[in-house]
Order: sequence, then C-alpha cells, then structure tokens
Amino acid sequence: MTLALIGQAALNGFLFGGVYSLMAVGLSLIFGVMRVINIAHGDMMVWGSYLAFVLALRLGLDPFVSFVLCAAAIFCMGVVVQRALVNRVLNAPHEMQILLMLGVALVLENLALVVFGPDTRRTESAYGLATVWLGPIFVDVARLITFGLALALSCALYLFLFRSDLGKLIRAAADNGYGALVIGADVERIYMVAFGIGAACVGAAGALMSALLPFSPATGFAQTVTSFNIVIIGGMGSLLGAFLGGLLVAVAESLGAVLLVPSLKELVGFVLLVLILLFRPQGLFGGKTT
Amino acid sequence: MVNRRTFLKTTGVAAGTAALGFPAILRAQPKEIKIGAVHPVTGPLAEIGQACRLGAQMAVDAVNAAGGIKSMGGAKLTLLPGDSETKPDVARAVAERLINEGAVMLTGAFHSGHTMAMVPVAQQRRVPFLVDISAADVITLNVAQSVKEGKQKTQYVYRNFPTTTVFGRKAIQFMNEIFRATGTSPKRAVLMYTNDPFGKPQSEGFIKAHKEQGAPFEIVEVIPFPEVPTDLSTEVSKAKAAKPDIICPITRPASATLLLRELAKQRVEILGVISPGAPGLYEKGQIDALGKLIEYTMDNVPWVNPVSPKARKIAEEYAKRSGGKIFDTNSGYSYEAILIMADVLERARSTDPDALVEAIRATNMTDPIMVAAGPVRFNEVGDTTSASTAMVQILGQRPVVVHPKESAEAKLVFPVPKFWERG
Amino acid sequence: MLLALLVLLALPQFLGSYLLTVFIFIFFYAYLGQAWNLLGGYGGQISLGHAAFVGIGAYTSTYLAMTYQLSPWIGMLIGGAAAACLGAVIGYLGFRFGLRGFYFILLTVAFGEICRLVVSHVDALGGALGLFITFSGDPWQFQFSDNRYYYYVALGLMLISMGIAALIERSRMGAYLAAIREDEDASEALGVNAFGTKLAAIVLSAFLTGVGGTFYANYLFSLQPNTAFGIPLSVEIILRPIVGGSGTLMGPVLGSFILSPLAEVSRTYFARGGLSGVHLIVYGSLLIAVVLFFPRGAYPYLRGVFRRLPRRGAPPPFRHLPPGVARAKPAPERPRDP
Repeated sequence: MTLALIGQAALNGFLFGGVYSLMAVGLSLIFGVMRVINIAHGDMMVWGSYLAFVLALRLGLDPFVSFVLCAAAIFCMGVVVQRALVNRVLNAPHEMQILLMLGVALVLENLALVVFGPDTRRTESAYGLATVWLGPIFVDVARLITFGLALALSCALYLFLFRSDLGKLIRAAADNGYGALVIGADVERIYMVAFGIGAACVGAAGALMSALLPFSPATGFAQTVTSFNIVIIGGMGSLLGAFLGGLLVAVAESLGAVLLVPSLKELVGFVLLVLILLFRPQGLFGGKTT
Repeated sequence: MVNRRTFLKTTGVAAGTAALGFPAILRAQPKEIKIGAVHPVTGPLAEIGQACRLGAQMAVDAVNAAGGIKSMGGAKLTLLPGDSETKPDVARAVAERLINEGAVMLTGAFHSGHTMAMVPVAQQRRVPFLVDISAADVITLNVAQSVKEGKQKTQYVYRNFPTTTVFGRKAIQFMNEIFRATGTSPKRAVLMYTNDPFGKPQSEGFIKAHKEQGAPFEIVEVIPFPEVPTDLSTEVSKAKAAKPDIICPITRPASATLLLRELAKQRVEILGVISPGAPGLYEKGQIDALGKLIEYTMDNVPWVNPVSPKARKIAEEYAKRSGGKIFDTNSGYSYEAILIMADVLERARSTDPDALVEAIRATNMTDPIMVAAGPVRFNEVGDTTSASTAMVQILGQRPVVVHPKESAEAKLVFPVPKFWERG
Repeated sequence: MLLALLVLLALPQFLGSYLLTVFIFIFFYAYLGQAWNLLGGYGGQISLGHAAFVGIGAYTSTYLAMTYQLSPWIGMLIGGAAAACLGAVIGYLGFRFGLRGFYFILLTVAFGEICRLVVSHVDALGGALGLFITFSGDPWQFQFSDNRYYYYVALGLMLISMGIAALIERSRMGAYLAAIREDEDASEALGVNAFGTKLAAIVLSAFLTGVGGTFYANYLFSLQPNTAFGIPLSVEIILRPIVGGSGTLMGPVLGSFILSPLAEVSRTYFARGGLSGVHLIVYGSLLIAVVLFFPRGAYPYLRGVFRRLPRRGAPPPFRHLPPGVARAKPAPERPRDP
C-alpha cells in the first residue's frame, strides 16, 4: 500500500510538473537573455489564468484550447512591459531592476483584484474530474493533457530557438549581448521578442494550471518564488534544465508530502535549492556556466 | 454614504425647523458617530475582508435608516472602512488613523495577528474595540489578565465570536448528536488542516475536545497542508490510505476546492465530509464552482440564524448588494458587531470611552441575528457567552442549518451519497 | 542636520498618536533599511531574506520573555546575536562558495523560507499560530502606554544605525565594501579580503536587523511565521534603501520618509472608493516611477541637484557604468569560478 502511495505521489508530481516546467522555461529565457529578474512572473501567470477563466465563462472555451489565446495576450503584455519599462533598466543595478519589477508585480496583482474581484477561481474543463485507473494507481486525465501540452510547447520553443534565424539571434544575445550588438543584430527587437515569448510561456502555463489549481489575485507571488527555485535547480539559462527542473521539483514536493509532514513539503524544494546553489551552482542540467 | 434620499431627508428636516423658527443647531442636526472597521480588503484574505466590510456597511445603513442612535438625538453612524492589506503593521497604522479621523469605536480584523496588533491601540487610546471575527482565545484573555494584574486600568477589547475552544467543543458535541440521531457510528476520522494561524489552533481545539468529550470515532491521521494552495493530491492519497469513515477538513476556499475535487477523483469512500469549522465550504462562489461535489458537505460554523425573520431579510438584501453572495459567517458577524455597537451607544448615551465600556459590560441584546446560545452578554474575559456555531450542510446547492434542532431549516443527510454517484 | 534632529526630538509634543505611528514606522523601516544597506547597499550583496533576521530576533526575545520572564531589553541583544549567527551561516556558505549577484539573492530567499517553514512547525514557538504578547504597558517589558515612547525608541534605533553606517562609511571596511561592490575580483587582486569583509558585513547587518525584531514584536504584539519571516517583509525592508539610494548614508532614511507617507496617503485617499486595490496600484506605479525618474535613487538625485553646495566627507565612489555600455555579461553573473 505504501509503495502504491509513493508511486501515486511520484506520478501526480511528475504530471503536474509540466506546468511548473513551462513557467520556469519562460523565466529562464527572460533571465538568460536580459539578466532581468522578472519578479512579476507569477502575476503574469495569474493574468493568464484569469483570461482562461473569462474565456471559459463567456465563450465556453476549454482551457486546454484557450491557452493559445492566453499565451498570445500575455505575449503582448510582456512586449509592452519590456518596451515601456524593462528596456530602460537593462544596465541599471540589480536593486533598481528588482524595485521596478516589484512595482510591476504590485500593479498587476491589484489590477487583477480590481478587475476580477477577490474570489478564488478555477477554470472549468470537460476533463476536470476524469481519471483512468491502472490497478491501485490512477492517472489524472487533466494533468496528463496539461503535461502533454506543456511538453509540446517547450519543444516548439526549443525548435524556434535552435532552428529559426530569430531564435538563433536570441540565443546569441543570451550568450553575449555585446557580441550580438557587434555583429549588427537588432538587440532591442531581440530583447522585446524574448521577453514576449517568456511571458507567453507563463501565460500558457497560467491558463493550463487554472484547470488544476484554484487561483486568486494574490497567488502569483508564490508562483514567482517557485519559478525561480526551479530555474536555479535546473540551471540558469538552460531550457532543458528549466524543464527537467520543473519535473524534479514537482516530484520532490509530492514525495515530500508522503514522506514528511505535508505542510513541510515546500521545504524540500528550498533545501534542494540551497544544496544546488552550494554544490552545483550552474544547476543540475546546466552544462556550461554561461 | 450620503445618497440622494438621506440628503433630501435631512435638508427637508432642516428646512422644516428653520421655517418654524427654531435654531437648527439645537435639535435638528443629528450628531455623527464614527466607527472604524479594519478588514483585510486586499491581499490573500481579500475575499473574506470584502464580505466583512459590506456586512458592516449594511448594518450601519440599517441602523441609520431606523433613525440612528435615538438616545443621542438620532445621531447617525458613519463607517470608516480601513484596509489592513493582510499585514499586521498596516492594521495597526490604519486603526490609529481611523481613531484620528474620529472613530469612537473599532471593529475588525478577521486575522488574529491583525486583531492583536490593534489591541494595544485600543488600550492606549482608550477606544473600545469590539472584535467581530478572530477565534484565537488569547486575544481577550491577555487583556483581561493585564487588567487583573493591575497593569491596565480598563479593558477596552471585547469580542463577539466563538473562540477556537468553543469551535472544538461544539464540533464534537454536534457530531456526537448527529451520529446518534442518524444511527451511524463512524470509527475512523482523518483530520486535515491548513497550517496557518487559523487552521492550527482550530485543529488543536478539535483534538482537545475529542479527547475531553469523547466520540465514537478515533482520529487516525492528522494531515496538515501548506497555506498557499498547492496541489493536494498526495495529501488526499495519504488520507485515503488511512481508510477513513469521515474526513474533517479545516480549509480556506482554494484548499477546499482542491480537497473536494481530489476526494472525488481518487474515489475516496467515506460517510461524509464534516468540517470542525472553516471557510471555503459554504460560499456562493464555491458552490457555483464545485456543484455536486460540495453537496452534502457539513461545516460547523457560526451562522446566520435562519429562524430569525430579521436575519432572513438582511440575507436577501445582502444577496442584492453583493451580486448574489450568501450572508454567511463573516458578513454576518461583521454585521452583528455593528448592531451590538449601536445597542451599546444607545444605552451609553455618550461616546465617552468609559461609559461605552460600562455599557458593553451591561449588554444583554436579545434576538441576535446569528445562531447563538442565548442573548448577547459579555463575560469577565470580554467574550460573549452566546457566540456559538451551527452545523451547516449544503443541500440543494444552498447552505442550510441542519443542527442544532431549534435552528434547523432542513433534515440533515448522513451518510451522504458517494461523490461519483451524485446525479 | 542638527536642526533636523532637534525638530525630530521635539515633534512628539505636537503630534497626535496617529502621526506618531506614521513616524514610528518611518524610523523603524529606515532602521531596518539601514541595516540592510550595510550589506546590500555598501557591499552590493543584495539580500531578499532579511525578514529571517527580524523573525529570529523577534522570536528569540519574545520566547525568552514569555518563558523566562527575561526583559526584552536584554532579549533584544540575544535576539540580535541569534540573528547574527544565522547571518554568519548564510554568509559563510554563500561567500565561501562564491555566490554572487542573483545567486546570492536566491540563497537568502531560500534561507528565509526555510526559517519560516521550520518555525511554523515548532510547537514551542506556537507553530503557525505564532506567539501572542500580553499588552501591559510595562516599560521593562518593552511596552509603552503612550506612542511617544515608541517614537523615541524607534528614533534612537534609526540614529544608532545611521551612526554605525557613518562610521563604516569612513572606515577601512567601508572602502573595502565599496571596492567589492564595484569589482570583487579586482579588489581581491589588490589584497582586499573579500570573504572576511563580506562576512563581517552580513553579521553586523543581521545583528542590527535582529535587534529590530524585538521592536517589531513589541509594537505589533503577535508574531506569526508568515509575517515575521515572510518574503513580503523582506521586500518591505529593501524598498526604502533602494528608493532612497542604496549605498548612501541618507538613502534608507530618505526612502523611508518618501515611501511611508506615500503609502499612507494612497491608503487614505485611494482606498476609499468601492474598488479595493486601487491604492496599491497607485503605490506600485510610484515605485515604477522612482526607477524611471531617479534611476540611482532619490538621494543621489537630490545631491546632483544641489551639486554646487559644499559637501562634507568623501564623495561616494562612482556607482554605475555610463549609459550605453552593456554590462559585461558573464563576469558579474557567473556563480563562481569553475
């Protein structure tokens, strides 16, 4: 029985990890390219969730379909934030960047409060309660779909970054912004697109997660912290690292809930973070240190 | 809020007295009495804080519509709303500001930590503070002890809300009565609670009462989960592995949603979900979102008395003003706090703090709008002896009181149908 | 300077209790900001986990007062020492393993969160419910029936922190810290003991912050892990020095004098309407505006305005790269040399 319990916890965590991965991939991209600490990441995610909620309520769209629209909308939000604000602090010291993004986070959170109200919401999906039983273990269908979509989106992003010209430029800028400037790349445009894509990732993650977890304007903050946690564990600037890191953290927390007191499960993630920082600061899957 | 009607009314009266040749100042200008209400209207507790604020505002409007404080020449109440932003330091600063703006009494603050931060303000500035919601026993106890030891002269902090001790006792008592009445005898209970300043003492109160009063069931597993709504699937798997007959959750809205959905997904076979007292299991939004999953869920909470016609009327008006929400624990107790304050002011005939305290101590308000064990009276610690709970069950997608019998609206259903076999 | 001090000393005679509260929070957060500034501003080692030091200090003195009836006046030093120990642990690990910039920030966040989670599971400390302090108004118990005394205590804390910061600014340690902030590798090449200097800075910063915890506990009368150790408090601590100008003596104070009243005003005037949350949108927009219009903080800006006025003390070292030059990417961000 305990074995089944552990297996179940690992499976649930693993499937849930998909969205974690997607949001971390977005954050990793933004940090990798611009070295900006996007503290408003979780709040952008909450906006993605709310958009999915509204689309489900008004148009009856399933979040597993509407996530595309949400990603597009949050892409635009990201572009605006980057153009209007982030672009001006690219060379500013860390603390000013943090201050700026804290302001953005505060505005986004409370704008959501004013627009959508304080109530806890969840997006309805046709597959919300579906389960498939394999002996003593069950597979949560909504999680499975979420995982598949998150994986597909991450793969698409990978192909974009490694195959398309713009993607290659983004990677070049991430490696060395000065160098990209020297070879004549339009760095401003690259930064804008990269921030937009990072935001789109987290917007899609928000839409997908809204079918799994309830949200309210104030939940964004915790998601920001989790995202950073994952990115460091996986390896800063490494997409594969962020993806695998998301799965790892989700599984570790889920197992932590079985083996420890469940209310201490977040501790697992933070202890893991400290250990990684100390002994493998480039992250588990970040091969290079750049 | 001055709406057009009250404006017309007051100017009309003023014009009338002026026409009769009386100096208007003497009688016609009712004095204004300000009451400060601090609630967490933004931040993680915003949902509840906004319900509290609306409840208090409606009570103020009702008192004014009924002619204000008659013993003080029909003085009108004004609510000074304050937002604690779900932070204790802000709660304290806001309380100070509201007093500065002329509040003669305070109410609030939902979160025990915020209430605690406001206690010294009330004591220092000698402004009576009637706590509308906060369950931690120590809040009033601490002040009463200080007064007893002679360190403080007067107690300015009073509370009209059940303490966690009362919650625990009532939960076990009601559960025993319900099991007896339905001829059931659950053997194994799993207690799940959110590890926050409300869930933690609430769970302890329940365990303590279970030990003291005894019950046919045993608490076989206690599962605390984090305050921030994260995935609860593993917690539910753990609960399921303990083979429970009943699940006793102490939740918040987000965790309640997760919990009930996971119970359904994982096909946990139980006789029912009975909460020792927690939010998240009776709100309109929760019922809309969870539908049949929340049906039959029982919650031992302070509740609006369905037998009271007055309370029913308020509930209808509340639904209108809130866009269809239910007049529940939080809005109800914030409302009742204002009613008690109006009653106190009526008898004190003044806004002098010590006169107010004397009046509070002498309170004997019959016909409270909440389910209560008798008229509202304050004991030596400063708590009301009447504040109590009721067992509320979701029946027909509506929370109804099913126990105790004298307040019951409908017959309770127990054991309940399985989650996956519901229409 | 002296005039300002005299005004502040005389002020309580004229202010009501509410305005005293506003000033108390201005001083208190200026104090915490100055403590943070020693490490984050002068030394450039940004910590986003300073709430952990507040929490440790607050819980230590409160626990000692509740269990052993030890006066918080003594407890606050023990609390500060406990916080300093935690600071030493974080500093030792972080600096020994060469964590810089963003990596150090996350290390502090992680330690703050670990403390929060652990304390919320320690029953002796009240678990998630926390500790509740009985209000007695006994000065020996760090409690006062009149806000004026809290005012003077908070003012005293702020002045002490300013004194310490001024001393450090002029000492060798201050010069070392500035060198480390500008270029750690170069400073080490010149013989600066970067590890020792940073460690000293974090221990001192943690000690002062921990001492502040006692004030926090005895002004708010209850402690919950989520508020005393939470990231929101850490954020609150860093806002003021950054807005005022980090790495300057007057920055935290000026930032506090700007932000606290702004927060109060926006709370008073924008929270009134039916829409809750508007005042925080206003506040957030103000933070953004600060970054856009005073990219180095308010104090350096003001100093720029009054540049022709004679200035005492050494000019602060040049802080940032000129605009247009992209920061060399790998060097400052690399976690450590492989």
